[in-house]
Amino acid sequence: MKRANAISGIVLAVIAILTLVVIIPWQIETGPKGMMSPRLVPQIMMIAILVLSILLVITNLGPAAPHDPPPFSRDELRALALIGVVFALSIALYHWVGPLAFGVVLVAGSLLVLGEHRPWVVGGMPLILMLSLWALFYKVLGTAIL
Amino acid sequence: MTTRRNLIAAAAGLVLGASGLLPGAAAAQDYPTRPITMLVGYGAGGQTDLIARASAKVLADQLGQPINVVNKPGAGGAVAANELRNMAPDGYTMLFQSNAVVNAAPFLMDRVDFTPDDFEYAGMITAYQTGMAAPKDAPYDDLPGFIAWAKENPGFAYAALSAEARMYMDRISEKEGLQANAVPVQSGAEMVNTLIAKQVAVAFSGGIHYRYPDEIKTIAPTTTFRHPSAPDVPTIEEAGFPLAMDTRTVIMLPKGTPQDILERISTALKAAETDPEFIKVTEAADIPIMYYDAAAAKQEMHDTYAKNKAILTGSD
Amino acid sequence: MDYLLIGIVDVFTGPSLLWVAAGVLLGYILGAIPGLGKATGVAVSIPLTFYLDPVSALGLLIGIAKGSGAGSAVSAILLNTPGEPSSAPTALDGYPLARQGKAQKALKMGLFASVIGDFLSTLVLIVLAAPLARYALLIGPVELCAILVFSLTFIGGLSGGSMIKGLIAACFGIFFATVGMETETFVPRLTFGFLQLSDGISLVPMAIGMLAVAEMIVQAGNLRELDAQAGRMKDGDDPDDRRITGAEWRRSAPAIARGTLIGSVVGILPGLGASVGSFLSYGATRRASKTPEKFGTGMIEGVAAAESADNAVVPSSLIPLFALGIPGSVIAAILIAAFILHGLTPGPRMFVEQPRMVADLYVAMLSASLIMLALGYAGQRVFAMIIRVPLRLIIPGVLLFCCVGAYMDTSNVFSIYIMLAFTVVGFLSRKLDFSFVTFLIGFVIAPKLELSFRQSLQLLNHDWANLARHPIAIVFFLAAIVTVLAVARKEAGHTAVTVDTEREERT
Repeated sequence: MKRANAISGIVLAVIAILTLVVIIPWQIETGPKGMMSPRLVPQIMMIAILVLSILLVITNLGPAAPHDPPPFSRDELRALALIGVVFALSIALYHWVGPLAFGVVLVAGSLLVLGEHRPWVVGGMPLILMLSLWALFYKVLGTAIL
Repeated sequence: MTTRRNLIAAAAGLVLGASGLLPGAAAAQDYPTRPITMLVGYGAGGQTDLIARASAKVLADQLGQPINVVNKPGAGGAVAANELRNMAPDGYTMLFQSNAVVNAAPFLMDRVDFTPDDFEYAGMITAYQTGMAAPKDAPYDDLPGFIAWAKENPGFAYAALSAEARMYMDRISEKEGLQANAVPVQSGAEMVNTLIAKQVAVAFSGGIHYRYPDEIKTIAPTTTFRHPSAPDVPTIEEAGFPLAMDTRTVIMLPKGTPQDILERISTALKAAETDPEFIKVTEAADIPIMYYDAAAAKQEMHDTYAKNKAILTGSD
Repeated sequence: MDYLLIGIVDVFTGPSLLWVAAGVLLGYILGAIPGLGKATGVAVSIPLTFYLDPVSALGLLIGIAKGSGAGSAVSAILLNTPGEPSSAPTALDGYPLARQGKAQKALKMGLFASVIGDFLSTLVLIVLAAPLARYALLIGPVELCAILVFSLTFIGGLSGGSMIKGLIAACFGIFFATVGMETETFVPRLTFGFLQLSDGISLVPMAIGMLAVAEMIVQAGNLRELDAQAGRMKDGDDPDDRRITGAEWRRSAPAIARGTLIGSVVGILPGLGASVGSFLSYGATRRASKTPEKFGTGMIEGVAAAESADNAVVPSSLIPLFALGIPGSVIAAILIAAFILHGLTPGPRMFVEQPRMVADLYVAMLSASLIMLALGYAGQRVFAMIIRVPLRLIIPGVLLFCCVGAYMDTSNVFSIYIMLAFTVVGFLSRKLDFSFVTFLIGFVIAPKLELSFRQSLQLLNHDWANLARHPIAIVFFLAAIVTVLAVARKEAGHTAVTVDTEREERT
């Protein structure tokens, strides 16, 4: 964790500087005179983050403990990436086809990614879930949500 | 040869017509044939949402098809209006909103650039009783009285919910030499709270202060007409400030929606004027019914756009 | 008071009880499903309520609000994915308990704490609505500012392992809260041209992404381990794991009392919300405990504190509504609309003009608490079995519901994008050990603090001498200073003890 902390500290410090110098001036105009500037709170926060991340780096320098496990396991990163892809696909289908496609692909896709291979589950679960959602909103509650 | 070509053309025409790709005439005659979606650009539970749902009920009865109310809050209705622009002009999606989203927001918010020509209008039904309100026991009952008091009490506080509120107070202060502190509030409920708790001297209300007649009084309507709920209080124009802006609820549709569909909705909306359920709701909420049909609504939008532009960008 | 008897007869012989029960059941289920929550349920059942009589309609809506407060504990405890952001602290200790095979114990405590908090808060509403509301009026922006500063001291101990990282997380929370239109100048901040961001980042999609979806992805990356763990647990080996022992009740009772109090106070103050209540309650109980470092490993009082507070907020947030007609929360605003749609005007007049209906309402609300108890208890064993279902079947379902819940916030796909963005943030903070608790607190409390500070500046006419006119505010500011000093002394004492023991060990 020490190494991870040090790296996070550096990354955060960079993010803070970028935000202070680039993003805040770009995205927030200065307000009229006489009132608290709209940039004030965001700037204070970023300065605080900068200072704190430098502190974080400093307190984590030095030799790491004998067994310092890396924070991310390969499986977790893999899960993040794969599920991310499933989401991207589902959202694309939402825009091109419609919400039903979105739901089905999301559920079926994540089932596959997680290692479920039985076809009746991969096919059946999305349909059952979408059906129950439809029943809940359109029938029981009587409100169309789309 | 010609017969076959004619046959093919006829078949194509039939197919096209049947799949509904031919817009307009055929569809409008039997409008509506399926449920309609009414968007509301605010969250559920607000003043506008209330009237929208009540109107939806009346329209559904009149048009014979259910109307689904969908809340799409964001940027005071600008997000919903933007989405409306991209919807099909077939009369099956409408936006029920305060007309300020088109005739005031563009002058007050960045990145909102609607003009009245961006939409079609099927009618207006209620007006917002916007105005300056004060705690019931305040030592002034109208705007001149307030100004006199304010001169004696510089540094008074007022609750400002929107940029328009600040604009009003700024203009009045400029002309009369007042010193005001604007207390920002984020919702109608907060604004009412400040009045009931007597934390501010005045506040600019969108009309909900009438729900608390024992605690709050109106001192200057900012509409061009005197409030039906407070007929004895002179308006801001009568007090010498030509700054009144009327806000009304309007039904907007995407540009290009056929005129007869607009007329159908407009006629259906008129029934709300006499519908007992609708009247019950508007009376409980202190919201006056002021019906405008499609043509009048369109006219009002254009007139007020020009007028508000002058007021809101005038001396800025 | 005699109206109360009429109320009991009305509610129990009429259809309203059925609708209350339906509301509680619906709310419980919606609350238990991560992603969906009470705002969804209430907003979406409004059309249903048009066809019902006023008491049934309100019973339904209030039932949903209450049921979801209890139901959200279920997914927090079993899956570490809070059903609502207000159950996030419940997960901190509830999930470890579940992973130790004590799921039913945690579920029971969550339920009991929720019901007790809810019931007591409803009693407060019924008995004290009018006088309390008048007092609440005395809390203006200046007082609120002081109260919020004071409440920030509670959460000092919530940053988990590292103070620095906790503070960084809080600063990020505050930073993200500034996205949107600034309230005084109406200048858009950090909206990148997206109109959908001009009202800011909404808590619901953000919390769903950070807490639920991120958690699901982390679990997805640890499937084998987690499933093996679940397989090893034989829920039911030790009967004590299924129920709450007397000792645990004794430890949790003060937590529940504290939680109910904090939740009720937070509910009356406008605009704070249930999440603030449950976080503060958890923080307070942890601070008051003799073993604060054990929180997060399965302390049942943590579950009790969080759940009692998050349920106590709901009825007390109706106090300004019933007494003054002012809605203090989203649910209250929707209820006002429901009242008006039935031709009634909420406010002090309601007590005078419609005493019978008010009595019916009170009875309906109390019955909702009892129904919640019955339903929750009946469902315990069923819920606990969810642990047996392999995660790979649960995760996709949860992902879908999270999308639905996020979408429902604004009926716009944009909310799903926000959810996904914060999923990444949540994933990173979980893995790099940055506390999302302090992030959320910063996010929720900071804007109200900024707003009340600006309001105070204006109300005090930019002159701090005027603060003398606000004795309540002064009290809270002093309390905040005292608390900070006391905590600092305790920390110093702690470090002194550690230094001493270290010195002893070395000699």
